[in-house]
Amino acid sequence: MSSFVVSEALATGFKEGFKAGIIWLVLIAYLSKHDRSSLIRSFHAAVLTVLMATPLFLVYYSGPPAKDAIRNFISFSFSLLLILSAASLYHASGIKPDGPLDRSDSKAFLMNRFILPPLIFFLTVAFFLPDMLGSGSFIKDLAAIKESGRSTYISALAGFASGYLLWSIIYRTLRPLWIGGFFDIPQIFLFLSVTKLLGGGTKGLAEMTLIPSVQRGFMKFSHDFIHQTFVFLMVPDHQLLKTTTWNFIGFFFGPNIAGFAALAGILFFPLLFLYYRLFRPLPDPLAETGAERRKVKSGLLFDRRKKALPVMLFVLLVLGSWFSESGESLSKLYIPKPKPVVEDKGLILIPLKDPSMDIKDGRLHKFALQHNNQEIRLLVINKTGGLSVCLDACEICPPEGYGQRDSNVVCVYCNTPIPVDTLGQAGGCNPIPLSFEQDEQFIKIGLKELLKKREFIPTGAAGEKAG
Amino acid sequence: MPFIDVDNVIKEYDNAHALRGVSLGIEKGQWLNIVGPSGSGKSTLLNLMGGLDSPSAGSVVIDETDINRLNEDGMARFRREKMGFIFQQSHLIPYLNALENVMLAQYFHSMSDEKEASEALGRVGLSQRLRHRPSQLSGGEQQRVCIARALINSPELLLADEPTGNLDRENTRMILELLKKLHEEEHFTIVLVTHDPFVAQWGQRIVTMEDGKIRCDELVCRL
Ligand SMILES: Nc1ncnc2c1ncn2[C@@H]1O[C@H](COP(=O)(O)OP(=O)(O)OP(=O)(O)O)[C@@H](O)[C@H]1O
Ligand SMILES: [Mg+2]
Repeated sequence: MSSFVVSEALATGFKEGFKAGIIWLVLIAYLSKHDRSSLIRSFHAAVLTVLMATPLFLVYYSGPPAKDAIRNFISFSFSLLLILSAASLYHASGIKPDGPLDRSDSKAFLMNRFILPPLIFFLTVAFFLPDMLGSGSFIKDLAAIKESGRSTYISALAGFASGYLLWSIIYRTLRPLWIGGFFDIPQIFLFLSVTKLLGGGTKGLAEMTLIPSVQRGFMKFSHDFIHQTFVFLMVPDHQLLKTTTWNFIGFFFGPNIAGFAALAGILFFPLLFLYYRLFRPLPDPLAETGAERRKVKSGLLFDRRKKALPVMLFVLLVLGSWFSESGESLSKLYIPKPKPVVEDKGLILIPLKDPSMDIKDGRLHKFALQHNNQEIRLLVINKTGGLSVCLDACEICPPEGYGQRDSNVVCVYCNTPIPVDTLGQAGGCNPIPLSFEQDEQFIKIGLKELLKKREFIPTGAAGEKAG
Repeated sequence: MPFIDVDNVIKEYDNAHALRGVSLGIEKGQWLNIVGPSGSGKSTLLNLMGGLDSPSAGSVVIDETDINRLNEDGMARFRREKMGFIFQQSHLIPYLNALENVMLAQYFHSMSDEKEASEALGRVGLSQRLRHRPSQLSGGEQQRVCIARALINSPELLLADEPTGNLDRENTRMILELLKKLHEEEHFTIVLVTHDPFVAQWGQRIVTMEDGKIRCDELVCRL
């Protein structure tokens, strides 16, 4: 047990150090190519700041809400990177012709002194802080398992140092400054995104990468967006459209289609960039002789190809990891039979454990309450950060309830996958969340709460409420 | 300092002294012809200027670069960007047509450009022969392809060793008139080796070699 804890801490620390090291290497190569090596100081300062801020934060905050916040923070910083990559790719693709470049000395001075250092500092902090907080809180949990937490922290630090040193040694022995030639601002952002995507997981060896959670996030986003649009467009609703239309629309929300939409969203700007950089002709540069013109042009073309390479690698990497992670998403839908529960003095009690089940096993559990001759179904599932309790219905579809497929609950009616970790959010296709209390033995839900939330369920035929 | 500065160059082979101390300065844009009997060292001197061979002693400085100090890569780049060559034998690639032969030179310099290559062949009067292979061209036409190829990368120096050696008088005149026209337009420097007094008249300066030495160096004002 203890050696497991130590090696987990070591691996987690190593991963963070490795990330910091490889980013440092790319950055120093890029900066020295542009005669701005001194800016690397801002990067170091930011990494140090994050290293010091992480323990402080972890001392003063703890518990599941902090973990949720950290997860959101990580997704936020990843989204920020994707947006920055997209914007800079668009800018660099050459769709928009470049304006005249102001390369005056005073402007360069301003950039080097007052704009770039804080910018690099801010971006570095925005990159590392969420990851370090995630890994840090994981290590804190590890330390709590073991009698002496100190060795856990020390091995995590040792891991960080060795991950970082690895790249430092590579830098000193090989001096691979030529890699700077492959990078411009967009390539750097893509590189950072990939680093975060592949190494942003926060649960040690069990979760090295962000890919599954990013997939889920994107699927949910694209699904909600499309679904809500359809709901909006179907006003006023028509009897004939109902079931068939929903079935048709549901096809788009299947994990594959939504996954494709998400993938397309990530790859759109890189592909646009590649198209413009590789397949659109380069305008002839001005030159006195044909030979000179060709020379400048071939230099530009070579540079274009060189800088397209990281973007191509990004596309391949995202495609590869995406499909390798989503291979099993077509498994069968699991729909448990609801277990009866009763109401007592205005409270519904659901046991956390009984001989036939453990509610925290990660599977979907359903319960049914008879109230005034009507059945009200509930679902309970364990997600990151605790249990989630909802009505087995959403605000849009007819109340046929949910099944489970992998880490999604899926609407039986419209086939919409909803990532388990997003349960508890109200609205749209999410199962309607219930507030509840929980002790050692039971989940307690107020009947009033239940009846109040039931109002949101569309009754009878499809779409009535939605319309 | 002149554009080309040959300083006291000696070239010895195992059994022969090809050059026995040659010094020569050539101004930028000048057309200089080297004449002299067979074996007097004309080709040897030209090859040294083109960096195709290195001297046993002395130095060759072109455009302030001592070309013997360049390493192999540096010499190749220097030659690619500054020099064009024409020889007695055309050395065209037999299975490529005229246009492709010129484009190949563009490619080795930077990148090929078909439009520019066909314009260059147009300027040497071959716009009707773009797709002909060397074997389908006359000797004079082949030599004109060579001129287009030698000049396609806008060299500052054109080195020509008996460029008309295989041609009759009529074709020789045509080639020389073409060179004269291009020289007036583009102002590159020409060093041309010949043993033909008719050809030697076309330049601005004639250097006569004998037995590995310069015997006579005279300016003529034909151009
Ligand atoms: N690679 C070589 N090995 C040995 N001797 C050589 C070599 N190249 C030239 N020579 C000798 O150097 C001398 C000069 O030769 P070079 O080719 O410069 O004469 P040239 O003036 O060009 O004569 P031609 O008018 O016949 O071409 C000759 O005696 C020749 O035999
Ligand atoms: Mg000769």
